[in-house]
Parts: sequence; C-alpha cells; structure tokens
Amino acid sequence: MAPVISQLRRGVLEFCVLALLRDGERYAFELVRTLSDVEGMVTSEGTLYPLLARLRREGLVETTWRESPSGPPRRYYTLTARGEDVLGAFSVEWERFSRSVDGLLATGTTA
Amino acid sequence: MTTRTLHPLAEAYLDRLERAADHLPRGRRKELVADIETHLLEALRPNASEAEVRNVLDRLGDPDEIAQADQPRPTPASTATDGTEWATITLLLIGGFFAGIGWLLGVFLLWRSRVWTVRDKLIGTLLWPGGVAVSFVFLSSYLISGAEVCGPGECTDDGFDLAAIPIIAALLVPVGTAVYLARRAKHSSSS
Repeated sequence: MAPVISQLRRGVLEFCVLALLRDGERYAFELVRTLSDVEGMVTSEGTLYPLLARLRREGLVETTWRESPSGPPRRYYTLTARGEDVLGAFSVEWERFSRSVDGLLATGTTA
Repeated sequence: MTTRTLHPLAEAYLDRLERAADHLPRGRRKELVADIETHLLEALRPNASEAEVRNVLDRLGDPDEIAQADQPRPTPASTATDGTEWATITLLLIGGFFAGIGWLLGVFLLWRSRVWTVRDKLIGTLLWPGGVAVSFVFLSSYLISGAEVCGPGECTDDGFDLAAIPIIAALLVPVGTAVYLARRAKHSSSS
C-alpha cells in the first residue's frame, strides 16, 4: 500500500508545484513550505529542490533572483507558457482519472 | 555567498549533502547545495536553538534521499546481475573455442565487473585457464597418447579407472568454476 501511495505522490507532485505557481510567482522556500504543509504531500522537504531544478531544466518554470527584505537573495519561480500548457493538460486528465477511480471505489462498478 | 554563518549542525548537514551528491555533475551539485543552504538561511533565524535547527533538518530529510531524488547514484549495486555476468561466465567456460579470444574477452569482463571479489576473479582466471576448450585439447591428447600406450587387450579395468580421473577433473573443474562464479554473482547482487 505505502509504496503505491508514495509513487502516486511522486508522480503528481510536480503538477502540484505548477498549480501553486498558476496565480503568480513564489520563491523557493515559500513553495516548499506551502507544499509541505499540505497533508500527506511531502515527506522530506529537501527532495523538492531537485524537483524544482528539473522543472527549470524542462522549461516548465523559470526563475529570477531578487533581494529579500530579510536574509539571503530569493529565487522566484514563475510558470512558463509551456508550464501552463502542461498543467492544463494534466488538470483535464486528472479530473477524468480521479472521477473514474472515485466512482469505482465507491460503487465497485464502472458508472 | 553567505552573509551570516549557520549553526554548526546545519553546516555539517550541508557537508553531508555535498558528499551524498558527489555523483551529480558539478554544476547540479553546487546548485542543490546552494538551494538547501538558502532554505536553511530562510528557515533559521540567527542564533536559532539546537532544537530549532534539528527540527528544520528533520523536515528537510536525509541528505542521501535528497541527492538520490536528483539522480539515483549509480551504485555498485549495478552489481545487479544484468546479463553481463552470464556472458562473462559463458565466455570463460566455452569462449576458448573461438580461437582463444572468447576466453580472453571473458577474463577482461570478469576483471572489469564489480560483482566479483578479487579472490573470485583469481579463481575464475587461474583455476582452469582456457575453460572447456583446454579440457578438450588436454583430453584428446591424453586419449591419443593413451591409445598408443594401451595396446589391444592391455587396458584393464584398473587402468581405465585411473584414466577416468583426469577426464572427470578436466570437465568438472571448469564447470565447477563457472557454477562457483554464478553463485557468487547471485550472492553479490542479492546482498
């Protein structure tokens, strides 16, 4: 059971990151803490940084550094046009997928 | 880059991360460590207590896990038997038939592999060099010379029993070596 859930979580996590950026930029620490505070989403905050780096390499997000009022400069993440497309496509698929799974779990038949 | 110093525990954590990520390309390792360092500077106020530092580090998770999330380390657990081992064992066993080159290739693969220990490799190389091909050369020359010595009716039952020993050994030793290497490979990949 547990490995399935953690695989599912790992697969979905990057889209949750993209979703958090839909309404505007966020800096890394803010992103990480927001996701980490969602129930059952992240087991170790540190593993989000490699994920963010990958999204950047894949061109789904882009970053700019800006001074912070307190502490070190912050790296702000924004969604690229490509990131928006990917997020949109996933949202549609997820909607359909989760509805099907919910239906099956609830009734044991295909609605 | 840092304008203030981190708690020694946090510094030690960054060192561990740096080591855990030593399989990553340099640029990616530096970036990962810098990202985590920035995180620590955000999460920890100056003069944070040890308990606060430990909490932040716990939330970050194990440095190994973070580095593996970036890119799995190509472990010597690619000791996982992947077919190369079988090719190696087969070449050592019967590769000698291909003008001897096959056996030499087998030896090359054997010594390059991370699956076997040096002791295994020495056994695989030296116990019966050439594999079954050498057994055949050995046996045919033995049988020919045996036929010359053994005139009609001269070969008694006793003589035959004695003659059987090197024949059996010539077949058992290379096959036994192959079985031994196969078992060691299996043992190594499951541990």
